Amino acid sequence: MQWKNVKLIFLREMRDQLRDRRTLFLIAILPLLLYPLLGMSFMQMMQFMQSNTAKILIVNAQELESPELQDAEWLPPLLEGDFFSPELIPGKTQRDSLQVVRAESLDPEDPADIPLLKIEGETPEQHASRLLKAGHVQAVLEFPAGFGKGLLQVRETVIDRQPAGQTNALELSPTYNAANEKSQSAQIRLERVLRLWRQKITAHNLTDSHVPIQATQPFDFQPVDTAPVEQKQVVVLSKILPFVLIIWALTGAFYPAVDLCAGEKERGTLETLLTSPAMRREIVWGKLLTVMLFSSATALLNLATLGLTSKFVTSQLAANPAFGSLGSLTMPSASAMALLVLSLVPISALFGALCLACAAFARSTKEGQYYLMPLMLVTMPLMLLPMSPGVELDLGTSLVPLTGLILLLRSAIEGQYLQALPFVVPVLGVTSMCCLLAIRWAEEQFASESVLFRESERLELGRWLKSLVRDRCPTPTLPQGVLCIALIMIVQFFVSVAFTARSAEETSYSFIVISTLVMQLGCVLAPAALMTIFLTSKPAKSLLLDRWPQWKHLGVAGVLALLVHPLSVRLSSAIQEVYPISPEMQGSLQQFQEVLFGSPYWWATLLLIAVLPAVCEEIAFRGFILSGLRHLGHKWWAICITAVAFGAVHPVMQQKLSAASLGLLIGYLAVQTGSLLPCTLFHAFHNGLQVGVYRAAEYAEANPNSFAYQLLGGKDPALYQPAVLLLCGIAATLLILSLQKASYDRTKEEKLQEARDRGNTPLVSV
Amino acid sequence: MIQAHELSKAYVDLHRGEFVALDGLSFQANRGEVYGILGPNGAGKTTALRILSTVLQPTGGSAIVNGYDVVTQPSQVRRQIGFMSANTAVYDRMTAWEMVEYFGRLYGIEDEPLRERMEDLFERLQMQEIRDLLGAKMSTGMKQKVSIARAIVHDPPILIFDEATSGLDVLVARAMLDAVAELRDQGKCIVFSTHIMREAERLCDRVAIMHRGRLLAEGNLDALREQHDQPDLEELFFELIHQQEAVVTA
Repeated sequence: MQWKNVKLIFLREMRDQLRDRRTLFLIAILPLLLYPLLGMSFMQMMQFMQSNTAKILIVNAQELESPELQDAEWLPPLLEGDFFSPELIPGKTQRDSLQVVRAESLDPEDPADIPLLKIEGETPEQHASRLLKAGHVQAVLEFPAGFGKGLLQVRETVIDRQPAGQTNALELSPTYNAANEKSQSAQIRLERVLRLWRQKITAHNLTDSHVPIQATQPFDFQPVDTAPVEQKQVVVLSKILPFVLIIWALTGAFYPAVDLCAGEKERGTLETLLTSPAMRREIVWGKLLTVMLFSSATALLNLATLGLTSKFVTSQLAANPAFGSLGSLTMPSASAMALLVLSLVPISALFGALCLACAAFARSTKEGQYYLMPLMLVTMPLMLLPMSPGVELDLGTSLVPLTGLILLLRSAIEGQYLQALPFVVPVLGVTSMCCLLAIRWAEEQFASESVLFRESERLELGRWLKSLVRDRCPTPTLPQGVLCIALIMIVQFFVSVAFTARSAEETSYSFIVISTLVMQLGCVLAPAALMTIFLTSKPAKSLLLDRWPQWKHLGVAGVLALLVHPLSVRLSSAIQEVYPISPEMQGSLQQFQEVLFGSPYWWATLLLIAVLPAVCEEIAFRGFILSGLRHLGHKWWAICITAVAFGAVHPVMQQKLSAASLGLLIGYLAVQTGSLLPCTLFHAFHNGLQVGVYRAAEYAEANPNSFAYQLLGGKDPALYQPAVLLLCGIAATLLILSLQKASYDRTKEEKLQEARDRGNTPLVSV
Repeated sequence: MIQAHELSKAYVDLHRGEFVALDGLSFQANRGEVYGILGPNGAGKTTALRILSTVLQPTGGSAIVNGYDVVTQPSQVRRQIGFMSANTAVYDRMTAWEMVEYFGRLYGIEDEPLRERMEDLFERLQMQEIRDLLGAKMSTGMKQKVSIARAIVHDPPILIFDEATSGLDVLVARAMLDAVAELRDQGKCIVFSTHIMREAERLCDRVAIMHRGRLLAEGNLDALREQHDQPDLEELFFELIHQQEAVVTA
């Protein structure tokens, strides 16, 4: 690839986009206008909410105005004119926002009061309901008959120290409409006023009866928050900023990508570029860098204007006592901001490549824009997951694309660098892998004639299904390989959910046998086998079963499994040291191991743990999937993607990492030997050794003088000592290198790529 | 300069299954000649020329362009050719000068030689007036001139024109044909596809008549007329097509 051409294409595309008013508006103008406008609207809305007064209709208020109560010092006034008493609602603004309308003072002659009057024959409930429904008032408070007297009785009971149960409990039932937000808010404020009023009456009654107020509140409850104010203030932004960053990075990538691919197809300039000496990869990279720059610029501009607007709005609100609790927002630290900006590189690369690939598929700009929604639908759950309560950065979440990155950014904004540190590698690994896959997909789309010169075709399901069988290729195609991975994962997800519910109650041998059989035969083997039968014309070739392997390759596979075993065990324990398995999972695994490995039917266990997965997983992964992915034209790409998929289908997070690394080795074995048998042999030996070593360790512990004890006994067995690991590593590397010389079968695409890589000299002298 | 041997291209079509767009096309085009490819719409002309320009890959056969293989050495092939078709448009948001300069740089021409070459081209093709005009503001004729300049900016030994006069008015089409003739006189090897017989008669030294992806006849125009005893090229064309149709129907 010539970077000079990439730079040329990048500069041209940049100039082209900067001359496009629509793109400029979306990238630069919209963010500058959007947030200030939103902020302005929010401020105005808050002002409106503050000035929005609620009316409370008080019925039968004269209950509180009897001569005994009118000047009673123990009964603080509830009402004062058209408002509640200032003792109960401090602050004029607050008080003014809750207006009181007395039912008895309504004037039947006043047109404004007429709708509030009770209609003849109307019950109090019907009256209140009508007023609330019509929105004339937001709550109705009716004092029941005898309420005033009741209060007096309660006081006398307290002062005279009469036994409990001498008076009936009084009740006030404000009426409101929960379906109306304004009414609901009025009810909450009214309830607050009534509680305070009740508290004051109680305090007076107790004081006058010489009972300390502590009699009703033996202790106070005051939670102590140790979080620094800045950290609390930054928590809000830590959830919002990564989300805004990602959503705008996607939007900012999409529109330029559609214009640069589907738009160029539509305008007829893509073919002009394809006939230039620039390679397809150079074209993709030139366009990708443009899309990345626009994506990053959009995200940054949005982030900056959102930050500034939020800061301004919250500082204005903080100045208002009514919204003091919202406080002012603290901006994240400079290092967190730098990390946010830095994270834009992989985010924009990922979205840029995804958008380019989708846009390359579209025939027109209009069609391209249809693809935004599916892309959003796929990425949205990954963006929203970190915002769910309880979702934290751990090994599991760090391996989820986008989610892990968002959680890592959130930890950085909150200043929790040390807690986030162990997850930097998995997050970066997964993000880089996704970026590379997305870029590779975009390159594939640009290299595909059926994509670049796609013509509209009527969709007919019947014909399509018929053509799948009629026009099937000898081996699986690339999309079929990818589809097989997706199918295995989906089926496995549903089956594992069903089994997880039962495994909590049951861990018997028969349950483990049944669940393993279903998972292997139903979830792994069945999709691959069915796809092989129905979608390929040469099933044996597709599964690398069309010829017997060389004997030496079978030997290499067997010995390699023995040599790799201690390395694999050490790798697993190293992974568990960095990312410990949760105690619950550890308990389940131990129980599983004891039931299975301790079973007297050791041969059945061997079949279940070693032979069955080796056959099923190898047919699916190194058979069907690897055959399909090799149409990419690069064997290492195919091996790596297969290995990642192989790792991903393992149930325990820590297992996924070690399985993926073993997948690389088995994938290489499959390509170099051209046969599935050495892979199956290696896989079966590797798994079988786990059972064998477990039983041998048990024997060793029981026989301290045996050779097994020398090898596997004690806390730190000799088999896993560094010197043994080093020797095994060297021997395994030599064996793997010996496979390099094998002349393996290349796919058409691999041959073409190798021919293209060979050189630029003319074939024929001219 | 161009040797095509048994070139084939088949697509998988939902309705028809495997559809053969090009079926074993073999020909040779030499320096200083215009090699015409005649055929009705759907004859496989565009497919053949897209294969020669490496935009498409053949499913069978091979083609060598100025010594380079179209499948294994596509970048080198593209450096040897200038390709122009009805599908190769100009950029709307680039001026004529910027567009030709962009392609010149993609062909690896250094700044000074490129500037000199462009000045010469803009002068010869009378493009100075539209030098700073955006593609979106150009007329069809202006766009065609920019396309020619873009295709020959690197002075390629081979030029491929795929129905380059399609949709042009008489004046622009004539100017286009004059430009092709001038390039032929400069010693370029030109492959020119068309379905307009008059253009072929006027311009082509040798022609290949294609229908349904197959080569029906090939050779010097006079030799073809003599061989088929038909002085009128259009009639000759129809006769060959009908013969082929009769074979297919049978």
